[in-house]
Amino acid sequence: MPNKTGLVFFPAFDWAITPTHPEREERLLYTRDQLFEEGIMDLPEVVEYKPRLATYKDIARVHFCVPDIKAQVTEAHLIAAGGALVLADALMKKEIDNGFALVRPPGHHSMRVVHGNRGFCNIHNEAIMIEYLRKHYGLKKIAIVDTDVHHGDGTQDVYWHDPDVLFISFHQDGRTLYPGSGFADELGGPTAFGTTINIPLLPHTTDEGIHYVLDNLVLPILEDFQPDLIVNSAGQDNHYTDPLANMRFTAHGYALLNEKLKPDLAVLEGGYAIETALPYVNTGIILAMAGLDYSCVREPDYRPENFKESPEHMDYIKDLIAYLHEVWKNREALAEQRQRRTGGYYERRRTVYYDTDNIREQQEEKVKLCAKCPGYQVIRSRGLYPTRTERTVLAVALPWQACSECQEEARSVYQEYINNPRGLDFVYLQDKPRDTYLQYSVSGRSEMQL
Amino acid sequence: MLIGLDVGGTYTDAVLIDHGEVIEKIKIPTKPEGLLESLLSALDPLLQAAGGREIQRIVLSTTLITNLIATNTVDPVALVLIPGPGLNPGSYKFKATQSYILSGAIDYRGREIEPLKENEIKACLEAIKKEGIKRVAIVGKFSQRNNSHEQAVASYFASHAPELQIIMGHQVTGRLNFPRRAVTTLLTLATREKFENFYKQVLQVLKERGITAPLYILKADGGTLPFTQSLTKPVETIFSGPAASTLGVLALTPKGQTSVVLDIGGTTTDLALILSGKPLLASRGAKINNDYTQVRAFATKSVALGGDSILCVKNNSLEILPQREGPAYCLGGPQPTPTDAMRVAALTEIGDERRAYECMKRLGADLNLSPKETADLVLKQMVKKIAQEIDDMFLSWEQEPAYRIWEILQKQKIRPQNVVGIGGAAPAVLPLLGEEMGCRALAPPHAEVANAIGAALAKVNLRLSFHFDTERNFYFIEENGVQEKLPIPILSEDQAKDFCFTRLRQEGQKLGISSDEELELVYSEVFNMVRGWRTTGKLYDICVQFPTGIMENWLEERKDQCAE
Ligand SMILES: [Zn+2]
Ligand SMILES: [Zn+2]
Repeated sequence: MPNKTGLVFFPAFDWAITPTHPEREERLLYTRDQLFEEGIMDLPEVVEYKPRLATYKDIARVHFCVPDIKAQVTEAHLIAAGGALVLADALMKKEIDNGFALVRPPGHHSMRVVHGNRGFCNIHNEAIMIEYLRKHYGLKKIAIVDTDVHHGDGTQDVYWHDPDVLFISFHQDGRTLYPGSGFADELGGPTAFGTTINIPLLPHTTDEGIHYVLDNLVLPILEDFQPDLIVNSAGQDNHYTDPLANMRFTAHGYALLNEKLKPDLAVLEGGYAIETALPYVNTGIILAMAGLDYSCVREPDYRPENFKESPEHMDYIKDLIAYLHEVWKNREALAEQRQRRTGGYYERRRTVYYDTDNIREQQEEKVKLCAKCPGYQVIRSRGLYPTRTERTVLAVALPWQACSECQEEARSVYQEYINNPRGLDFVYLQDKPRDTYLQYSVSGRSEMQL
Repeated sequence: MLIGLDVGGTYTDAVLIDHGEVIEKIKIPTKPEGLLESLLSALDPLLQAAGGREIQRIVLSTTLITNLIATNTVDPVALVLIPGPGLNPGSYKFKATQSYILSGAIDYRGREIEPLKENEIKACLEAIKKEGIKRVAIVGKFSQRNNSHEQAVASYFASHAPELQIIMGHQVTGRLNFPRRAVTTLLTLATREKFENFYKQVLQVLKERGITAPLYILKADGGTLPFTQSLTKPVETIFSGPAASTLGVLALTPKGQTSVVLDIGGTTTDLALILSGKPLLASRGAKINNDYTQVRAFATKSVALGGDSILCVKNNSLEILPQREGPAYCLGGPQPTPTDAMRVAALTEIGDERRAYECMKRLGADLNLSPKETADLVLKQMVKKIAQEIDDMFLSWEQEPAYRIWEILQKQKIRPQNVVGIGGAAPAVLPLLGEEMGCRALAPPHAEVANAIGAALAKVNLRLSFHFDTERNFYFIEENGVQEKLPIPILSEDQAKDFCFTRLRQEGQKLGISSDEELELVYSEVFNMVRGWRTTGKLYDICVQFPTGIMENWLEERKDQCAE
């Protein structure tokens, strides 16, 4: 029996942020040409699926959309997320061994609260897929490896407090690239400390450096974590020709990475070298996932000797790996310490910037610290829009793992805010144990349920 | 008067049509001696019936290509590939006599990314000569965007070995899909000479009979071509039989409706779909002898279930097995079959009624059912199975990948209005099937020669798919391998469309398509090429056609006769 790789190819040839934006109709055009000319869809190892539309409920399992889901998503978003869901179903029904959702628009910069588009993303395709799998197929432990050149700050935000989701992102250092986060000391909230791993790499890191990180840090940690599912947040902008970043990764490097990582599901993220990288990188990833020979996939100007690492880079990488190994080994003890240090609730404040839509968001987050479960979170978020208007929302997030006391408490917190919504425009409850999602409109005095 | 002839594997069918009326129809078993004999045995009575009146055209559908490929009597061909980066070319399993791989590469925009190596070309030719192969197919990846590598290799071969017959991939098909292009090019060259011989023989016998009517041949996509035009790509005439049947149903049912074409034979049930009056095509091309090709063909499905399928009882339940061991029991066969059930249920009059009862009785004994009840159960099961297969066919059409938002939103669940039976056993189960599927069951008059009617009435079709690259100032036509500099600047989508329509009219004229035939825009897409933040050019993908269909005057004349 050959390996079966499911493929959803949704290039959204009729969708763009703006006509000349990197996230435009043309983005996967040459990839289409290459894949079709290769006859990839005819291979016995490849099964092509048609995407479907994700539902609003699928989205509400992850996001608090302001003012509502409809305002934040277009049909293209629903189809991109739905493409990932189609593969998730096919994987669970054992129709395929693994799957690649080659879809756009991307999603890994979308956080839980969504006021607008950040880093070309509105909703988080992988998180929507993962929460769907947890709800419908009872998966528990998930690992997400973000291979995009940008820090997957959306993914980090969604799973910051979730000890059952391991998020590993390697990316170009936040000091030199959007979104400016993803430093090695960002390791997760107090209830999930150590299950967020950030590996910031220096500009111009090559195949050799990235594979060193993969072999010596990412794969050992995955082996240790023993996830039920591995997801590749598959950006392609580490490529040496990408116009928006400065790394030196190749199509061969990406293919080999997928061969080693063996993701169950991969979802396309960024990658904007639409001619010089994407046709080759995508072909390489698909062949690698399908267990086929990708050694003949190469960029026209590819010379292996050009992608060796400098000694300074290697020293930096080795030092970073040693630090993160130490954290990983001691993560439980470190989490314990942090919980004790903060007491009954943990709080953080931060601002989030939405580059595409020019929105500033101020966020206060409160996490209930519970001995029996990862607790629940209350987020107060104020969005300041370029129109000089603003909205303030309060969102209660109740995770799958919440104990019965936390469940009751979180639901009553939501009720209290509804009863006294001072200064708020909307109040949300994301009740995952009941798979029920509520949004209360203060001005309309009405509650919507999904 | 029009003549349609379909020389199939089992039967040869022919009709003579005049002003929307079937004047004469012939159904005879196909002669084992050969296609030509069968063709003549069916043609001669029609000519007699025509009584010397003018015959406007003769359309032929044959299994020639199918037979050549099935019996592996195609001519030996050497395949020379220029694959460039991508899949490991060593993994290709093309059925060429010999395969050779050359360096050199063209990219998706048609730019050379790796030059050819002359010493390799030379060595390749030596090897071909040493093998004694006379035919060579040269196929490059992305040759439809830039054929210079194919041309260079071909001209080297031609000048150093003028005896070789050479074909290039871009001449055969320009649709994206290199492996399919290789297979299609290979088959084209491997069948060309034998097809040409057949053509000459047909011309000869027609000449002997003093027939001067133009001769056309039916293709797998339901269009006809002047016979001479088919000589360049004979492989397109494969599977013309099922295409003929589908067109026949199109001609015999009300215009614009959605129908299932059902042909129940002895061992298989063949299905095809007509969606709102348009036959459904196989999305990427026909599968021939287990190889994927770029031959445009109707989407057909063959289910291993027919009038002669074996019935048995296993674990107290009735089963219809996918194989055949001979004719029905009522016709002297060894095993009970659905045909026996039809006989008992009084849905057919063929065969020995007593024997049919006998085998149904034996079959029903284990189930505690009477012969009549057993027969009803058999038919019910058969109908359920066929209905399920039809449903699956619609479902897989719905699930065909789509790459644009509007396509995904637009494709809705549709189900047939009619199920139309044309095969031998179809009329018997048709009413039951209609009931099961909740649609009309139609067994139109002349259904048994629907294929010949379809052939007789098929229009000449022509499709041209253009690709414009305004940055490179080039345009390409997939179907005929045209790659030229743009003669005029293309500044807008409308201008591009006009260019395509004008070209289609010109090419149509060469095939004898009248200038008042309706043109159709199949799709039109524009992509802005942006480099930096500036638009540097546009890519237009535009496809126009004279669609596949039935001659309009037939439809006009038959409008009142179509059973509602
Ligand atoms: Zn990115
Ligand atoms: Zn708790």
